Amino acid sequence: MAPPPPAMPVAEAIAPVAAQRDSKINRDLLSVMGRPTLGYLAVLGAALFFMHLAGAVWIYQVYEGLGIAGYTHPLFWGVYIVTFVFWVGIAHAGTLISAILYLFRAKWRNAINRGAEAMTVFAVLTAAQFLGIHVGRIWKSYFILPYPNQRGLWVNFKSPLMWDTFAISTYATISIVFFYIGLIPDLAIARDRATGWRKLFYTALALGWQGTNRQWKAHSRSVLHLSGLATPLVLSVHSVVSWDFAMSIVPGWHATIFAPYFVAGAIFSGFAMVLTVMIPLRRIYGLEEYITDYHFDNMSRFILLTSLIVGYAYAMEYFVAWYSGVEFEKTSFWLRAFGPYWFSTWTMIVCNTVFPQLFWFKKLRTHIPTVFVVSTLVNIGMWFERYVIIITGLSREYNPAVWGLYTPTWAELAILAGSFGFFATLFLIFIKIFPVIAISEVKELAIHEKAHGGAH
Amino acid sequence: MAEIDRRDFLKLVGAGAGAAAAAGCSDKVEKLIPYVVQPEEITPGVPVYYASTCLECPARCGLHVKTREGRPIKLEGNPDHPVNRGKLCARGQAGIGRTYHPDRFTGPMRRGADGTLQPVSWADAVAELAAEIGRAPQKTFLLGGEVGPTLSDLIERFVRATGIAGRTVYEPFAPEALREATRSLFGVASVPVFDLSAAELIVDFGSDFLESGASPTEHARQLAQARDVQSHAGGGARLVAVGPRLSMSVSNADEWIPARPGSEGILALALARVAIEKGAGAGEHQALLGGLLAGFDAASAAAKVGVPAETIVRLGSALARSGRAVALPPGVALTSRRAVHTTAAVLLLNHVLGAIGRDVKVPAAAEGHPASFRETLALIEAMEAGRVGVLMIHDANPVYSIPESAGFAEALGQVKLVVSFSSIPDETTERAHLVLPDHTPLESWGDAQARPGVRSLVQPSVRPLFDTQALGDTLLAVGRALLGEARAAELPAGSFRSVVEAAWAGDDFRAALQRGGRFGELPAQPPSLAPGGLDLEVVAPKLTGEGSHVLVAFPHGFLYDGRGANLPWLQEIPDSVSKIAWTSWVEISPKSAEGLGVEDGDVVAVETSAGRIELQAFVRGGLRDDVVAIPIGQGHRVGRWSSRAGDGLPGEARGANVMDALTASVDEAGGRAWLTENASLSATGASRRLPLLQFSDNQRGRQLGEAISLAALAEAAHGAAEGEAPAHGEPAAHVEAAPHGEPAGHGVHELRAPFDPAADAAAASPYRWGMSVDLDRCTGCGACVAACYVENNIPVVGEEEVRRVRPMSWLRIDRWVGAGEPDLSPGREHPAPSRERLGEVDVRHAPMMCQQCGSAPCEPVCPVIATYHNEEGLNGMAYNRCIGTRYCANNCSYKVRRFNYFDNQLTRWPEPMRLMLNPDVTVRGQGVMEKCTFCVQRVAAARQPAKNEGRPIRDGEVQTACQQACPTSAIQFGNLRDPQSRVSRDAAGQRSYYALHALNTRPAVSYLAKVQRGPVEES
Repeated sequence: MAPPPPAMPVAEAIAPVAAQRDSKINRDLLSVMGRPTLGYLAVLGAALFFMHLAGAVWIYQVYEGLGIAGYTHPLFWGVYIVTFVFWVGIAHAGTLISAILYLFRAKWRNAINRGAEAMTVFAVLTAAQFLGIHVGRIWKSYFILPYPNQRGLWVNFKSPLMWDTFAISTYATISIVFFYIGLIPDLAIARDRATGWRKLFYTALALGWQGTNRQWKAHSRSVLHLSGLATPLVLSVHSVVSWDFAMSIVPGWHATIFAPYFVAGAIFSGFAMVLTVMIPLRRIYGLEEYITDYHFDNMSRFILLTSLIVGYAYAMEYFVAWYSGVEFEKTSFWLRAFGPYWFSTWTMIVCNTVFPQLFWFKKLRTHIPTVFVVSTLVNIGMWFERYVIIITGLSREYNPAVWGLYTPTWAELAILAGSFGFFATLFLIFIKIFPVIAISEVKELAIHEKAHGGAH
Repeated sequence: MAEIDRRDFLKLVGAGAGAAAAAGCSDKVEKLIPYVVQPEEITPGVPVYYASTCLECPARCGLHVKTREGRPIKLEGNPDHPVNRGKLCARGQAGIGRTYHPDRFTGPMRRGADGTLQPVSWADAVAELAAEIGRAPQKTFLLGGEVGPTLSDLIERFVRATGIAGRTVYEPFAPEALREATRSLFGVASVPVFDLSAAELIVDFGSDFLESGASPTEHARQLAQARDVQSHAGGGARLVAVGPRLSMSVSNADEWIPARPGSEGILALALARVAIEKGAGAGEHQALLGGLLAGFDAASAAAKVGVPAETIVRLGSALARSGRAVALPPGVALTSRRAVHTTAAVLLLNHVLGAIGRDVKVPAAAEGHPASFRETLALIEAMEAGRVGVLMIHDANPVYSIPESAGFAEALGQVKLVVSFSSIPDETTERAHLVLPDHTPLESWGDAQARPGVRSLVQPSVRPLFDTQALGDTLLAVGRALLGEARAAELPAGSFRSVVEAAWAGDDFRAALQRGGRFGELPAQPPSLAPGGLDLEVVAPKLTGEGSHVLVAFPHGFLYDGRGANLPWLQEIPDSVSKIAWTSWVEISPKSAEGLGVEDGDVVAVETSAGRIELQAFVRGGLRDDVVAIPIGQGHRVGRWSSRAGDGLPGEARGANVMDALTASVDEAGGRAWLTENASLSATGASRRLPLLQFSDNQRGRQLGEAISLAALAEAAHGAAEGEAPAHGEPAAHVEAAPHGEPAGHGVHELRAPFDPAADAAAASPYRWGMSVDLDRCTGCGACVAACYVENNIPVVGEEEVRRVRPMSWLRIDRWVGAGEPDLSPGREHPAPSRERLGEVDVRHAPMMCQQCGSAPCEPVCPVIATYHNEEGLNGMAYNRCIGTRYCANNCSYKVRRFNYFDNQLTRWPEPMRLMLNPDVTVRGQGVMEKCTFCVQRVAAARQPAKNEGRPIRDGEVQTACQQACPTSAIQFGNLRDPQSRVSRDAAGQRSYYALHALNTRPAVSYLAKVQRGPVEES
């Protein structure tokens, strides 16, 4: 690294020059929120189309029955649960970047944390819908809540699905609060520049933020405390989701490695999704100055690390299946790799463990097209990972008479597409009404950079 | 479908319940109307039973019709009836559907000018028919299936009184060759009755006696009795099966001889010869050796039959040495053009073995009007010649079941008035000008004769649902209209009911009604060989056509001759052997399949001299390479379930009708022959997934269908006698051990932890309900499955859903071939390749229902406690609590949970089928999981009487539906907390094991391993 430039007195740093820079940051970052272009509207239109298509299919499914999906004896779970786990996984990057990296004082997070947090919230919202889409009687799904009732009906706290309900709802709550608190200073900036109904909107949301010292102090304390709260959640949510599988007795599901394996996989897929989304965004809105090679380098390292963990988990699953000597497990894993679902399995292995190895090279870590392609492949691979675990596990259970084959139907694929539509719709609306990069944090960083010569 | 006058029905039966039937049906409000005057014999909530007779097949089993508030809801066997002894097969169970069939004619119909059937009044219809007959009685014929003796007599009187040209009895599967063979050998034209209950060695020459023979339920019971390991130290009777395919009957044999089809007679004579040589009959048959049996030495017979000569010698010696051997003659599938001689050869073998008069009872005299295919063919000729003006068809569907090449359907065009008495539309009513619907058996008076000496009554258990009229009454009305006042006395007075009463005048009618009939001994005398009887000429039959394969058309176990095809349960329950439902298939051997380049599900064209049909291939090792086999019974073009009309494809056949590839051939004496064609096969290139309900027959040594050798069993019994009784729940270590060396499922068996099956219920509960399933008794017949469907209101989901493998059956029968071994190759294909091998038989039929596990994997995962453990150890299901996460089903290791993917409660019970719903069992709605509950409603029904009498529920007092139906009593139910109960004793027995024991789910169902008796030994 180049030697740091000579330090500058802080006072000088915040003086007129800083003010100029501030306004450039404001201008640059708030320009994303400007009038939508035709391209933007086209993408939003496509997202809305898929979202509504999925909605229509879902209504039809509620009316007609889950039979329109590809379920078969013995595959009682399918693409809906696969996609649920996929989105829960995506939801991990945001909190990880905001909370854990915050606690570790990894400053490079500043440019991406807002987008990642937004993705977290939207991904959790997307995932949560799949619990409703999946159940047979959505109109009775409130039974899963432990509400007091005269009939003395209670829920089963032994069931991992119960834990899921709590884990997801807790995670969604914390993510939303965290996201919102981080937004407040930026909402104030937006308020100050907005006119008309927007002014009203941002005024209400900014909660009277004036940027006073006292407010900043309270704000940073809240962020710190919330980070402390959110950090264990990052680990717990996907652990709980993994227990949906690990607590069962299905061969291929029943494994102690599942919790760390799923958490690593979630972070892996979360970072990949952040990259997949941020790279085009950065290019379209000219944010190269804020999201730099430096960020890509760091995120790619994370992907490489988690890829290795995930790869280790894959290897361990096979090793334990063989080492246990249990025929059920051996058969299940053998057929996972060489049975009817070999394509899914090898897609998963190649996408998740082979391509990320490119990130051993710094050149490739900062070569944006490579990063984009690899992160997209990781997203695909991680969807297939869940598909492989759920589908191959169920298709080869204990009784070979009722082994089966599952193929998703048009309904499931439409709803899968709709989940991306829903997620994209929320994200596209988000970038138009909220600053996609945390202005206040970037400014803070800029000040620090000036003060310390950018030595990090 | 026409609107049903339900109000009238309700008024008639005086009930208005419908509560359970309509529970959860939110879009329709039905009011509960209490009885204003309660009928004396009806207590709401308490079933009333009526004794009657099942008319689904010629076996004529006794019924107890269970009615609730005036509606029959289930058919059960009559325990007093000597044929079925309280048991009832799948066809019998499903027979209830005829009464509630949504396709039923709601009244008499006449074909209008536009070609459709229009309602007409009974008076007009009868008048029209009488007028038409009156114009030319000599041109009027009656054609119909076998009916009860009283109705048959009435028909004869009708024929005589009205002077119509005649009556032909047409029964597709009538044992005409057996009757003729008996006549030629013993001089009596009657059908012998085979009794297997005391046999020691049974040689079955392809009779399919367990699925479609003369009396499947009775013979299954007798077989189970003859080889009950409890009462026979040596393992009991051995069954040797001869036949080209591994049918259900063959799958229950100890040895399979895949003889060339048609060569059974040669084999029988060769066996007779060896047996005589080895001393059978103590010299009295020596004369035969030089005469009839001269050319049938083992070596030359072996070449003709296609089995090694050693096998013939070994088996012949065993027959000679066996104190009690019996041979069963070929069934429908192997009825060739030489059937009479073939059958006579088998009867002669019985004669040599001394079985005639002992295990084969020959009724002294023929009774009734026998079926004759030759007469049927003659009738077709008469029709073609325009000599038939009126043809009345009852209890038969000849348009479907006579091969098209015989020209019946065409000849119908020459008949001025075709009258059908069928209550449900079929191919024949489609061609009828007048439909005068008969009552269904549950609405009828009548009687039936299982065999001479056993005559049972048919009594109605419900008022007719529709404006139908008993065939007897219709004939009486037509006859009276024809004869007028003056000659009315030539026909009996009164209604058909009074005719029946008069016919039973010799008995105490009421007592007979309550008992179900008059059950006496078969009036038989040991017949002697008729002088001309030995004029046998047993040669292999000539087959028509040039094809490379022999076409074997075999009766479908459930559809019989096709009459079962319009009963939805019989379509949905998978065939016992192929596990295919809702369609027909062509069985081809792996070698033939390879030659054709086809796999399971590929559509194959089968071409014979009679025609060409296309069917999906089912490749199986248990079939001769030179044979293709097709089930009889599918390919209907009419009917909601029998054709694809219910799937929105009216007129389209389900599978193909094998009759289209057969010629109307006859045997030497004019009986119908089925084994007549050579067939050539070709691949069509089309392919479709088979509606198949079993993925693999390889149990991979996972303890799902275990077997134990006789030696290991004896050793275990010896050990037990010396006080080394295995711990409770510790299965005999010998199960599936010895001959295979290391247990196949390595890593499974050593993990079995012993447990106390009685433990898993509340401490204070006197009961822990349990079950035992004896695989040695289970024949795979599917009676239990059908009983379960009807008892528990299980919906039938149809072909497309079955193709997606979403059946709703709470009980299924897994069919395993051999002990299985871990095989990592399968999985890409669906289904997994067949493990059957020609000439080898090691099939284990394992009924699989909810195991009511003590440590049930399904229970902890349900988030809403919809499935839970009750205090009596049952794994309960609260349907209304279920939200449908389906986690329980994923976690069920036995895969016995079923999910309602659609709103089955609304869509699968078309009117008036809802009337047959069991009000004691909830009807499940969309999005809900369901499963076997051990018939908890029957437990509940027994609780109150026991409580009233201040005693616990007795062992055997509660019978689950499956247990009650099982012809061989393979299923037992009871209290595991009572050490004396049958289930406790079974669970502690030497053969007991638990399915997937290694998972430690602590099931309440103990399976008793199938006993491997091994091939028949020479000494």
